[in-house]
Amino acid sequence: MKLIFEYEEQITGHLSDEDIPIELPDDLTRNELPLPNVSEIDVIRHYTNLSKKNFGVDIGFYPLGSCTMKYNPKINEDVAMLDGFRNLHPLSKDDCAQGSLQLMWQLEQYLKEITGMDAFSLQPAAGAQGELLGLLITKAYFKQKGEKRIKAIIPDSAHGTNPATAAMCKYEIIVIPTDSRGNIDLQKFKQSLTADTAIVMLTNPNTLGLFEENILEICDLAHKNGTLMYCDGANMNAMLGITRPGDQGFDMIHLNLHKSFSTPHGGGGPGSGVVGVKSFLADYLPIPRIIKQDNKYILNNIKRRSVGRVHSFYGNFGMLVRAYSYIMSWGTDIRKVSEYAVLNANYLLSLLKDIYDLPYDRKCAHEFVISSEKFGEKSALNIAKRLLDYGFHPPTIYFPLIVHEALMIEPTETESKETLDRFSFVLRSIADEIKESPQVVKGAPYTTPVGRLDEVSAARKPNLRWIPK
Amino acid sequence: MDFIPVTEKDRNEMLKQIGVSSIDDLVKEFKPALTRKLNLPKPMSEFELMQHMKTLSKKNTILKYFLGAGSYNHYIPSAVNHLLMRGEFSTGYTPYQAEISQGTLQAIYEFQSFICLLTGMDIANASLYDGASALSEAVLLSSSYNGRNRIFVKDGLHPQYLEVLKTYCEGTELEFTNEIDEKTTCVIAQNPDFYGNIENLGYLSEKAHKVGALFVTCVVEPTSLAILKEPGNYGTDIVVGEGQSFGIPINFGGPYLGFMAVKDFLLKKIPGRICGMTTDVKGNKGFVLTFQAREQHIRRERATSNITTNQGLMALASTIYLALMGRNGLETVAKLSYGRSHLLHKKLVSIGFKPLNKKPFYNEFIIKTPKPSSGIISALLKKGIIGGLELGDDMMLICCTETNTIQDIESFVSTVGEIL
Repeated sequence: MKLIFEYEEQITGHLSDEDIPIELPDDLTRNELPLPNVSEIDVIRHYTNLSKKNFGVDIGFYPLGSCTMKYNPKINEDVAMLDGFRNLHPLSKDDCAQGSLQLMWQLEQYLKEITGMDAFSLQPAAGAQGELLGLLITKAYFKQKGEKRIKAIIPDSAHGTNPATAAMCKYEIIVIPTDSRGNIDLQKFKQSLTADTAIVMLTNPNTLGLFEENILEICDLAHKNGTLMYCDGANMNAMLGITRPGDQGFDMIHLNLHKSFSTPHGGGGPGSGVVGVKSFLADYLPIPRIIKQDNKYILNNIKRRSVGRVHSFYGNFGMLVRAYSYIMSWGTDIRKVSEYAVLNANYLLSLLKDIYDLPYDRKCAHEFVISSEKFGEKSALNIAKRLLDYGFHPPTIYFPLIVHEALMIEPTETESKETLDRFSFVLRSIADEIKESPQVVKGAPYTTPVGRLDEVSAARKPNLRWIPK
Repeated sequence: MDFIPVTEKDRNEMLKQIGVSSIDDLVKEFKPALTRKLNLPKPMSEFELMQHMKTLSKKNTILKYFLGAGSYNHYIPSAVNHLLMRGEFSTGYTPYQAEISQGTLQAIYEFQSFICLLTGMDIANASLYDGASALSEAVLLSSSYNGRNRIFVKDGLHPQYLEVLKTYCEGTELEFTNEIDEKTTCVIAQNPDFYGNIENLGYLSEKAHKVGALFVTCVVEPTSLAILKEPGNYGTDIVVGEGQSFGIPINFGGPYLGFMAVKDFLLKKIPGRICGMTTDVKGNKGFVLTFQAREQHIRRERATSNITTNQGLMALASTIYLALMGRNGLETVAKLSYGRSHLLHKKLVSIGFKPLNKKPFYNEFIIKTPKPSSGIISALLKKGIIGGLELGDDMMLICCTETNTIQDIESFVSTVGEIL
């Protein structure tokens, strides 16, 4: 398909033109604006046709592990679009913003109850920014206490954002291996926990899809050492109403509202990485905080120990509306989400474990990791590409890094048994294909808008933008 | 409301297949078990939910805005949202599987191109969270490029951007300086600045380059780029900013659209996703995420940034907006925004306000009020107008876009005239 810049000159514009002279000196104004003029009908066709080259949850099964690609209820889109929400200026006086402030305040209360935390900030725009906020709070907390702690403990199964964020905040990273049951190695953990350990960053259930069996002991050991416990809440979809990170002993958590709370992933965002903390860290949360006073909601800018601000305004408000709406529709029944997420994952695992290897033979949480190592090098990649021909989005592959030829599968609760049966049938068929006609799998996909792309020349001869002729 | 399709019959078959008798058996390792129901409201049906949300949304008051300050109320053509709501775009994730993500990837490539064309830069990324965090990322990039840790910020930076920058610096061990010297990693200037002033910043970029610092331009109102000189033209090494003006509703401050564009020599240091054009096995044109070795999922603690999820759908919104408006439409937006704000400015000066901008302005200006600004703001509020941002007792920051009609401007001026 051609680029939007390659259409011939047409009539465009959505405003009536007026003759307004611009009285600015030449050294402030540009000579030309090299943008195309394309008619509305061609713009509509261009992007509609582009959309047809995409895959989303609305098109088919999307078991991308660690990303919780569940169905995004359409009602949430409609409520986020309500005029009163969408057209409110962020610098409106509190009196004019009572609806939005109430929604945010109430969302904080629900998230506190769901996670067992005492206070929330809704500012972080995504999980990685939530992690950054968590580590900024950690720094400020120990600075306040006058303690010099320079280490962050992170398991080898962690998301890449954990070490990347710790490095941004100049922490020395101590990597702990995974034991034979898929838990963080407790002995190694104990040895690594020293007087200068500031924080332990854990994902629970971890990225192998396994609940940390020693979580209570780990948190206990950390606290006795004066170390803070941070929960990467990417996998909250396993725990809603079943167990709470705050009760497990975590001091901080970020939630990805675009995962467990079903705000659409948008082709890579916007997300929302809200952060919850225990009461002793509440004063460190970003300002402004929303407080309720005499039945009015107020943005409070008093800084006290706050680390400051991490967003231009108050976070990705539109995502907060969708998450709030999602929580309201489930209400007290929200436990069912996690129950069925875990049921679906274990069911799918039971259908696959005789053909693919299971590195840690346990019941899984809401997702699981299998290995295709016995089918040879690059088999996970080839299987992923072959799945495209059968109309499925592939699982996450080659992650976590500790499992060779890893396929990380997260079905979510919104899929039917019929879909899971068909997916397992296809994965079995591909395993047969690898044995019988390996070239077919290596050459896949065949039915997609383009075939496998040349990533090497994309990096060697970068073409990253259109350039006017 | 229930979004789970598994029937009771299915559930029992599934449990049998797994080899357990209940779902509780599957979660018994999850400790400590919550032994009560969560204290949440009763579940709502879709109908009840819609009523509830409408009621809540009506507790907000939507007025006529003469208020910008980092959030600009421009007109959004209907077609933007119709395209954005397509599930093919909105319900996918980061395009790791390029073969089934060509729509998103080509749109990112077009977004990167639009940003480069508007800013006069060589390379743009696929988006960052918002203007303020994009600015912070620019500082981290600078420091990683030249190994220095002092930041010079020119007056006139959006105060909330400065706050976010300070927060990031606290964690990343960078500091602020009042000198531009050999220890300065970068010089930052917002253009138009927070008070609306426009400048040719060539003199400042020269000063920065002379000591080996990078020059960063921050653009908070990007419709200005339709008429103003592109930052790449006056020596900028990194342009960052806020793309909200391009087809994204003001939405109480988010989701917005951080963007970043750099000169060629910074390619390997830029944070976030980048899309590149390449070919597939048959030689067909196609798009992929490229230079991923900079990113956290590959490089972990040595990544150029921790960012992963960005503002994908907002980047798409702005791409569609720019395509729909086109060169002519965007120039009209800029001309009308410029024209309306200058008209209001002139009328206010004629009734006793004092101009405070020492340089030309685009669509936002700071002005001294003849009476306390709080009284003026309240009087306007009674007429359904948010008159601007109060800056101290007798100053206001006022903004116009193409959505402020001439009638609105007249009503603004006559309301103020009545209380003077």
